Amino acid sequence: MADTPASLDQDLRRLEEIVRTLEDDDLALESALQLFEEGVGRLKAAQARLGEAETRVMQVLKDAETGELRTEPLDG
Amino acid sequence: MTAVDEAWSVTRLARTIKHRVEDDFPIVWVKGELVGVKRYPSGHWYFGLRDAEAKVDCTMWKFAAARLQGPLEEGTEVFVLGTVNVWEERTALRFNVTQVLPASGVGAQAQAVEQIKQRLLADGLLDPARKRPLPPYATRIAVVTSIAGAAVRDIITVAARRWPSVELLVVNSAVQGDGAPAELVEALGIVSRLERLDCCIVGRGGGSKEDLAAFNDEAVCRAIAACPVPVISAVGHEVDVTLADLVADLRAATPSQAAEFALPDRHDVAARVAALRSAFLSAARDQVTTRQQRLQRTRERMGSALLERLRGVERRLLTARGRLAPALARHARRPGVRLAQLEGRLPPAMQRRLERARATIGRCSAQLDALSPLAVLGRGYAVPRDENGKVLRRTADFPPGTAFTLSISDGRVAARVED
Repeated sequence: MADTPASLDQDLRRLEEIVRTLEDDDLALESALQLFEEGVGRLKAAQARLGEAETRVMQVLKDAETGELRTEPLDG
Repeated sequence: MTAVDEAWSVTRLARTIKHRVEDDFPIVWVKGELVGVKRYPSGHWYFGLRDAEAKVDCTMWKFAAARLQGPLEEGTEVFVLGTVNVWEERTALRFNVTQVLPASGVGAQAQAVEQIKQRLLADGLLDPARKRPLPPYATRIAVVTSIAGAAVRDIITVAARRWPSVELLVVNSAVQGDGAPAELVEALGIVSRLERLDCCIVGRGGGSKEDLAAFNDEAVCRAIAACPVPVISAVGHEVDVTLADLVADLRAATPSQAAEFALPDRHDVAARVAALRSAFLSAARDQVTTRQQRLQRTRERMGSALLERLRGVERRLLTARGRLAPALARHARRPGVRLAQLEGRLPPAMQRRLERARATIGRCSAQLDALSPLAVLGRGYAVPRDENGKVLRRTADFPPGTAFTLSISDGRVAARVED
């Protein structure tokens, strides 16, 4: 599961943390730059998620013989 | 009153009575005791229904009687569903019954639900501490309902409006009728196998009370409790709370409301992201500004501190020279004083003094940041403080309208942030 992208919730929480840290004057320059880079990335990710517009509606079907699950679009 | 020459026919009287009684008479449930029960060979049933003070004759025609679960028995308490008929031929009133439920059976059904509830309670499945919170920004939601029903359409509509990026995984199941409990359990089993789910909505559109039976089923309730993600029940009934509602992590009155609970509103989230963005950029800007200011301050302090120290050394040297001349003169006037020896020692002494002075300058450079704030103020800087004397360092310390004082080189000035 390590490869799954961070959730919007994780992105927003981390951004809040970054802002709090950046508001500290005694931050080392190196850390400030790293945080800035990370913050820009997470902001972009959050905005991209907001931009997703198409609600996908799938029906989950179970194969009567094998019991395996598959999904197919549910016609709306 | 009518005139005698306008006398009604009997038929007219009978019909008028019939219409007056039957028109707009509602279909009602009536509770009473069965008396005088007779079954005719034709398949029709005749009986009376009575309570302590009144009695009504009833009929139940063959087609309705065919749905009876057992023969009607004298003296039993029943609920009957029907409406009033007037039999014209005799102007006799009959309550025409289409459905009969034994009163004990109705009680038994409620009792059965209560027993299931006690078992669920004993197993801790109704414990409020079991209720799981919903994830704030769902990306995948399972919906267990009938794909033929209105519930799934309502949920899709709300999702598309509030949080379009969500993926809905619909698992079809009957939600009423005899097969519904088994299908719901099966569907919830499928939900348990889905990955990366945020929550699950189990529900149906509105309906009559009998239709709720599947949501009072023990196996369904246990399947909801066993679901690995939070479950929102949406049985679509404002009044009756089902056991499924009690077991679910959250109860919604309708499928639309369930979708509203499960999904954030994108406008709210957009506002939160925008606020975070501006806070982030301003914090980042402040990091740069603070460093620029610190650099500038250090440069200025260094320059003036060095100058100050050099002037001090210069003054001391001048003083030393001023004192040296008369001393030399005194020594020169005194016989026996080894002037040459004195002259020989002088240069190294001066040398050491100069070296000490250099070392002092070196130390001072290292201590520049610790210099007196008054010296800094003297160069035109000001220190803002709040009413408690706390130094205000950040823009966040200056909300509009804030009163503060500025300490400058020769005193203080009261100030206020403009709105």
